[in-house]
Amino acid sequence: MTTELDPLIHVPTRLKIVATLAALPDGDALSFTRLQDMLGLTPGNLIIQLRKLEEADYISSEKTRNGAVQKTTVTLTSHGRAALGADTQALRDLLGGL
Amino acid sequence: MDHIPGTARDGFDPGQAAALLDQATRRARRQFTPLSPLLFTYRAVVALVVFGGFWLSVRGQHPYTGHISGWAIAVAVVLAAINIGWTAWGIGRAGTGVSGPAQRKWQAWTGIMTAAWIIGYAVTAPLYHAGVSHPVWGLYPASAPLLMIGLAGAAVAAAFRYWPLAGTALGIAVAAAAAGFGGPAGSWLITGIGLCAVCLGIATFTAWRQRRSMVRP
Repeated sequence: MTTELDPLIHVPTRLKIVATLAALPDGDALSFTRLQDMLGLTPGNLIIQLRKLEEADYISSEKTRNGAVQKTTVTLTSHGRAALGADTQALRDLLGGL
Repeated sequence: MDHIPGTARDGFDPGQAAALLDQATRRARRQFTPLSPLLFTYRAVVALVVFGGFWLSVRGQHPYTGHISGWAIAVAVVLAAINIGWTAWGIGRAGTGVSGPAQRKWQAWTGIMTAAWIIGYAVTAPLYHAGVSHPVWGLYPASAPLLMIGLAGAAVAAAFRYWPLAGTALGIAVAAAAAGFGGPAGSWLITGIGLCAVCLGIATFTAWRQRRSMVRP
């Protein structure tokens, strides 16, 4: 049996993003600033990684404006949660077989 | 050279990925958990010290008056204030930047339980004002408020599907009910030991849940 890891998630920064968002209950969103603070990434790097995940429909983002302040929140989609689950299972299979 | 299926070209192998996944998950779980294992352990110590202190101050009374010494009350107030402050800080820290249905449900739970704690102990004031007998005054505040709070908490937690918290609240109710059989002085000690055991149990469970691996069994 060949177990394939998801190339989109199997990148350290994106794996950390997805794992962090997956620790929230299903449907809950995390602000961009809190996510950045938790992962210690620069805004530019985080934006690039989030864009790749959003293009694959692994996450969704929402921008809200309160006066002059714009707030961005990020949510792991059910598709993204399933992808992480599949990737985790692939890791289990690979490590169990080594 | 053998190729490990799924190994990325940049050398991020499955072992590294599993370690990173566990590390990131545990860190996120710790940061999103409002009531930490350390806080529950502190509460266990508080329960033992406060209720044990009350028991020490009333156990030698002949005849029983139910009067709790000033030092025991002072210690209880200080430890309870630290607990409230720590809890508020933990809830605020965990919820920073988080929004959504589960977060709103948690805020509702927090509000309901705050009201339950206030109401549970507020009903002891009329009894004190009415000048109830000393044995009643000893038994009632040691067990009745916690019995009410525990049962209400268990029902609400079950409705919200917070199963560990439902178990904890039920444990509090059981400890409070058992304390009712301990007599006016002994009820304080039974409540203290019961609450300590319940808090240590949920602390252990929370620590295990935070630390369990995503990949390895």
